[in-house]
Amino acid sequence: MWSKIWKNRVEFYPYASIYLFWFLGSFVSSLRVQNRPGIVALGLITIPSILLITIATIKTYRKLPGELRHSGVCDADDVG
Amino acid sequence: MIFKADMYVKSEKELGKKFTIVAFGLLMLVIVFSTYLHHFQPHVLKVPSVTDVSTWRNPSFEQTNIYERMTDAEIEKMRADGIPGRGLLPVIFDSQGDLTAFLFASLCFLHARRHFGQWMASCFLIGSFIFTGLQESIAILLGRFTAGAAYVDAAQHVTYGTYFFCKGSLWFIETPVAVCLSWFWIAYACVWIARKVFPKMSLLARAAIGGLIALNIDLWLDPVATSPEFMQWVWARGDQIRILGINHSNFVGWFILIFWFAIIWEWLPRLADRMGRFKASFAFITIILVSDMGMLIYLILHNTIIVAGLLSLLGKSDIYFPQGW
Repeated sequence: MWSKIWKNRVEFYPYASIYLFWFLGSFVSSLRVQNRPGIVALGLITIPSILLITIATIKTYRKLPGELRHSGVCDADDVG
Repeated sequence: MIFKADMYVKSEKELGKKFTIVAFGLLMLVIVFSTYLHHFQPHVLKVPSVTDVSTWRNPSFEQTNIYERMTDAEIEKMRADGIPGRGLLPVIFDSQGDLTAFLFASLCFLHARRHFGQWMASCFLIGSFIFTGLQESIAILLGRFTAGAAYVDAAQHVTYGTYFFCKGSLWFIETPVAVCLSWFWIAYACVWIARKVFPKMSLLARAAIGGLIALNIDLWLDPVATSPEFMQWVWARGDQIRILGINHSNFVGWFILIFWFAIIWEWLPRLADRMGRFKASFAFITIILVSDMGMLIYLILHNTIIVAGLLSLLGKSDIYFPQGW
């Protein structure tokens, strides 16, 4: 699984960016905030987004072998 | 004929490349000039001091949302020490610092280039950078120089400015480059996720879901980033609707900016088909500049007519949700 993800890592960059940003910028940072009771629990409000990001990540992973190698999603002439 | 068509496509691609090089070059010049003004000539744009909060005007320290929420000890600390974490290292390495924003923006740019090609990816980066950077800077400077007079509602509600950013090494007018880059990659990632999860949805619906994902993430991010421990940016008092201690116009802005930009960007291939990449690039930037003005007018109308109407309908002078934030 991991080697397949690593080979196609570019496909996961948007999800990885958002997860990391959410984790560091919101979760870890909220642990440092004092005198704001409930600011960590406020993170529950972002569950819908995290769910959608997870669904998109799983969908991307499932489509890796066929779609990304042969579907022509990428316009080769345009790249570069 | 085929040879001629091939030549045409090739020259169009060359022109598209030239446009992105020139646009990136101009953007760099504006960034260098803005950074020089911000750090070395702060009096020109009346940049608020990060070491002495007593010098703040429009808003003064006492006229900010954060002041209302601070304990006496936090207020004293702020007056004595200034903005926390303002050294170069936190500014660069923080989760919303320049380096982090550059890293995430690079990752999303590579993804965009693979799926949409160099020209479309560059247009997303340049377009979103200018669209949001200009919008933020106009709002900040309007607040700073007019105390947000344009946002004063029909009942002459008092405002004390709009907001401003406290940290950043590189600047685009009065918006940190890190913020502009973050707008780019967050907008791109959210719109991509909406596209991936709901592939059969119409463009309008996908753009709306992309905007809602970003807004949803910001509901947690903004209260954390503006807390006394971080103070990445500061909100002025005056907005009559506050959500989690943040002026509600921030959330309206998040949604509209991403929703509208996603629509304009997806029009780009059709524009290119009609007029070629070179002219389409200029048309794209023109639409963005006009949209910035349109958005500004909308936000003013929103704060003066829609909010005032909503509040009078509810029979309230302001709504703070939840109370105490």
